[in-house]
Amino acid sequence: MRPKTCFRRNARPSALRLSSVILATVVAVILAGCGSSKPSSSTPSSSAPKHGGSLTVLEGDSFAGSWPGLDPATDTDGAANMSYMDAIYGELFELTAGGKETGDLATGYSFTNGGKTVNITLRQGVKFSDGSPFNAAAVVWNWKRDLAGNCSCKPVFIGTPVIAQTGTYSLSITLSYVDAPFINALQGDIFNWIASPTAVQKMGEKAFAIKPVGAGPFTVVSDVPDSLLALKRNPNYWQPGLPYLNSLTFKPVSSDETALTAMDSGAGQAYEGMSTPQLVSSFKAKFQTTAEPSTSPYDIQLNTKIAPFNNIKAREAIYYATDAALLDKSLFGDTYPVGESFTAPAGLFYEQTVPGYITYDLAKAKALVKSLGGLSFTLGTISVPTATELNEAIQTEWQAAGMKVTLASWDLTGLIAQFEGGKWQSMLQTAGAYDPGTGVGVCFRFCSTSPFTGVFSTTLNGLLLGAAGTVNQAQRKALYDQAAEYIAKNADGPFLFPIAGYNIADHGVGGPGLTTPLPVTDVNPEILWQYVYNNG
Amino acid sequence: MSVPAADLLASAPAQDLRAGAAPRARGWLRNLEIAVPGTVLVVLLFFCFIWPLVYHVPDPTVGNLFQVNLPLWSPGHILGTDTVGYDIMSRILYGGRVSFEVAAAVQLIGLVFGGLFGMVAAYRGGWTEAVMMRILDVFIAFPSLVLVLAIADSLGPSETHVIWALSAFSIPAFARVSRAATLRLRDQPFVVAARLAGTKTWRIMLRHLTPNIAPQMLTFSLLGASLTIILEGALDFLGYGIPAPTATWGNMIATGESFISVYPRLVIVPSIFLLVTSICLNMMGDGLRARWGVR
Amino acid sequence: MNISVPVQPARWPGSAFVRRLASSPTVRVSARRLLSAIPVLWGVTLLAFLLLNALPGDAASALLGIDATPAEIRSFSIKLHLNEPLWTRYGHWLAGVVTGNLGTSLASPQSVVSIIASRLPVTLELVIYALVLTFVVSVPLAVVCARWPRGIIDRICLVLSMASLSTAPYVLGLLLVIVFAVHWSIFPAIGYTALSTSLTGNLDTMTLPSIVLAIPLIGFYTRFLRADLLEQMQSEDYVVTARAKGVSEWRILTRHVLRNSFIGLLTVIGLNLATLIGATVIVEQIFSLPGIGYELLNAISNRDVPVVEGIVLVFGITVVLVNLLTDLLYGVLDPRIRHVRSRS
Repeated sequence: MRPKTCFRRNARPSALRLSSVILATVVAVILAGCGSSKPSSSTPSSSAPKHGGSLTVLEGDSFAGSWPGLDPATDTDGAANMSYMDAIYGELFELTAGGKETGDLATGYSFTNGGKTVNITLRQGVKFSDGSPFNAAAVVWNWKRDLAGNCSCKPVFIGTPVIAQTGTYSLSITLSYVDAPFINALQGDIFNWIASPTAVQKMGEKAFAIKPVGAGPFTVVSDVPDSLLALKRNPNYWQPGLPYLNSLTFKPVSSDETALTAMDSGAGQAYEGMSTPQLVSSFKAKFQTTAEPSTSPYDIQLNTKIAPFNNIKAREAIYYATDAALLDKSLFGDTYPVGESFTAPAGLFYEQTVPGYITYDLAKAKALVKSLGGLSFTLGTISVPTATELNEAIQTEWQAAGMKVTLASWDLTGLIAQFEGGKWQSMLQTAGAYDPGTGVGVCFRFCSTSPFTGVFSTTLNGLLLGAAGTVNQAQRKALYDQAAEYIAKNADGPFLFPIAGYNIADHGVGGPGLTTPLPVTDVNPEILWQYVYNNG
Repeated sequence: MSVPAADLLASAPAQDLRAGAAPRARGWLRNLEIAVPGTVLVVLLFFCFIWPLVYHVPDPTVGNLFQVNLPLWSPGHILGTDTVGYDIMSRILYGGRVSFEVAAAVQLIGLVFGGLFGMVAAYRGGWTEAVMMRILDVFIAFPSLVLVLAIADSLGPSETHVIWALSAFSIPAFARVSRAATLRLRDQPFVVAARLAGTKTWRIMLRHLTPNIAPQMLTFSLLGASLTIILEGALDFLGYGIPAPTATWGNMIATGESFISVYPRLVIVPSIFLLVTSICLNMMGDGLRARWGVR
Repeated sequence: MNISVPVQPARWPGSAFVRRLASSPTVRVSARRLLSAIPVLWGVTLLAFLLLNALPGDAASALLGIDATPAEIRSFSIKLHLNEPLWTRYGHWLAGVVTGNLGTSLASPQSVVSIIASRLPVTLELVIYALVLTFVVSVPLAVVCARWPRGIIDRICLVLSMASLSTAPYVLGLLLVIVFAVHWSIFPAIGYTALSTSLTGNLDTMTLPSIVLAIPLIGFYTRFLRADLLEQMQSEDYVVTARAKGVSEWRILTRHVLRNSFIGLLTVIGLNLATLIGATVIVEQIFSLPGIGYELLNAISNRDVPVVEGIVLVFGITVVLVNLLTDLLYGVLDPRIRHVRSRS
């Protein structure tokens, strides 16, 4: 058994590490989104990108808009701060159109040693913005520093991984097991961001966290944590002619509404992760609105260990009573693709339907509830507007089937405590990730080894962990399909739909991830800042 | 935070800052000053507590997914429905219940514990009083919202916890008022006479002091109720109060904030009820104070 | 003032002065007031600490989350001194407070003091701006009301001030946003532009929040000042004298009475401060202003105990000290008070 596989990436749940775990799975969907099958870019900018200009990007402050410090080794909000980190440090691997992992500061990777060793080659001739060389020694130094620290943001491995420099521009990491999603999991992970060792040593960690130095397209001009991050073009950036922008500024806003008025008044030209479906039309009227492709559907977790959901009849009643299509229609105007599994259109291994999945049938639900002599329980979720709103609507549906549902919501710490206590009965959550094998992927909600599961099945463990340990993509897909069928057969919990976030941009602003959709990998959408331009 | 009126009363030194401030009307107008807010409050109380018993009001936490975002004056939903199909009128009524319940409970707790505290302090005098008053000073030093917020967050969200948290501000406030009132009575001939006659302290407090400070405490509790309702709403608004989906005015305002440009009525309707209630409570308190000549 | 002090040969030059000082009623009252603030300040530290520490629950595991190993919990506990008894921890913390060290944030490598210092200018500007608005509106209003008490303006002011005193800042804030930002787009709804970046930009972002803070204060100050003006106009000897000399009512009101009332007004600022600070928490949240209140809510939701503790403490101490200061100033500035006290 590999107890921590499910947590591989960013997966240390911690109240401080807001970004990574439950938040990642719930808030991610809400704030940063996960995919819609109808990516709707209202007016794609057709003009060619021009050099120069500046861009102010707004970030929702409940998630991406707060950053304690920007040193990868200590940034507890790392995944949430992906945009800032990518802009300052660049990435070893970036996700490009069609969901391809492409080398940015790295050039390639390979699995050897039966899949247990990952070899990475780096781009040559790259320099950090302080002039020091970017090479394998720097990466090894960073990774070792990441692992040695006690940040809740550090990646978790079983056993101690062996990190070795194999050449000036090549290195390897060897685990005690096969970790197929290793490269995919780098998205939003602190391993993907390489700090300048010289700068860290010269400035000290505290000062470095406020004015970090990397090899990305931008360098820091001023950084007031949680309120303003001003960046300027890195003149020594390795890609000639890039970035397009001369300056890039990030500002937090308190809500989607405030972002709307802020953009109206010209206080910002882009907004990442708009998550209030009711405001889409307001944004669309004035700006380019791009739906983020989603990877994590909402699901209802049922605690199969305790009453009433230790009884499969009660679980089936939930399936019969849940009309996901109606929820989508009433709350979100029929926007999102209703699905039957832990995958979503923009993720890997997507299947919309699952054989044996129980669909909505109110009469059967009523009959089951009756035969059970009533069904009363608590449905919880994280206290984030979209989630609580969805819960209220679900409660309404279930009550129609004769169930008695009490609602509850907690902040992240409270939610963790609920799972710790093991007394929870049902939870509205999100499951899945771009690669189901990564940190907040499926195992997180369905492996009995995870503290956040309501399913305790060794069969399911075997399928999911087996998939994560298989490098061959076709074999992996077969295992995930089997897992989805297994979940459906046992009625472990119904799936709803992934709720997409939207990226908003002024006309004249464009770039991959911002105005053309890129898959949401872990938490945030990937935006490739070096290609972002402002022609307006 | 919030309504400085009662907050200031809570932190003001014994003399009353507002006394004599209001220009007083005569005759019928003076009656109106109490009658109008009084009537509004009675009507509100009737609709919040009695009406749902005699007339079918939709459950405030059971929505209708086929009737979301109905506008004002829709048939069957006089104030419309919100984004998940909850009837807004019903949520206003049940939310009002919560507001009044919390306000009443907090005032009662403040009245009993704070009143006693202040009375004992003033009656005993000397070091006892000095120490007791310094303790109150400590509580009053914190902005009421900050104090209440910190307590409510530690206790966790529920109506009972909100009541206890708000009491942390109401008890010291009542204690101050009761101390000031008792101080004025302490050396009055009838109290001195009772003391000389050997009447027991608790009896003096109960029989002689309590009835005489009662008008003051009552008018203050009306002002306090207004503040309590606003503070409770603030806790809900910030997410540390009574958990959603329980219908409260603060929760309604907080939810509506997310769609304020699209559905401003989701914020405006509960705001109006909150505003009217708190104005009426303040006017009643003020009016009664003037009528009873309470300082 | 020192007539009661018998003349004695001075042993050292300062002693007469010291004795004089000690016998001055103003100084005596002030000294007593100063001394009585000490236990209150101590109580404020105690309450701020207990609010966040005496509560049930294992802070370390709550902070680290479910996945933490026992060893991690242990080392974290030691780092935060959570393994020590409550009173020992309070001792550590108090020792830090006295030396101006409030600890380090759990969520970032910054010290609590530096976090508060970086947030202070926003909140301070907000408070000052709101007070300025308040004075600009309420002083003329109060004078007009006091000139014609029970007149039509006075009555309207009474109703309006009652309404303004009953307004919740979140209601007011959101309504102003609907009207001025959403509907008319006069002001931006949110955001903060530093004063150093742009003056107009700064005023743009600070005006609406300051109005929200100012409105209840305007109601209060207008009533307070009006009452004080009226009282003086009716009872003070110098007013009678001035009237006898034929000085016009307006002139008496604006030149003499108003000047005296300002001292009273000054003390009310102290009393208002707690209220005002409380309201900034909500206003900063609504308008996304990166002030101390905003940081407080942020820290509460992050369970960043040292930051919450620090901010609650700073709020409490500020209120105690400002009240102390206004009390002392009142004693020094107002001749009537000094006079009364020295006679008694």
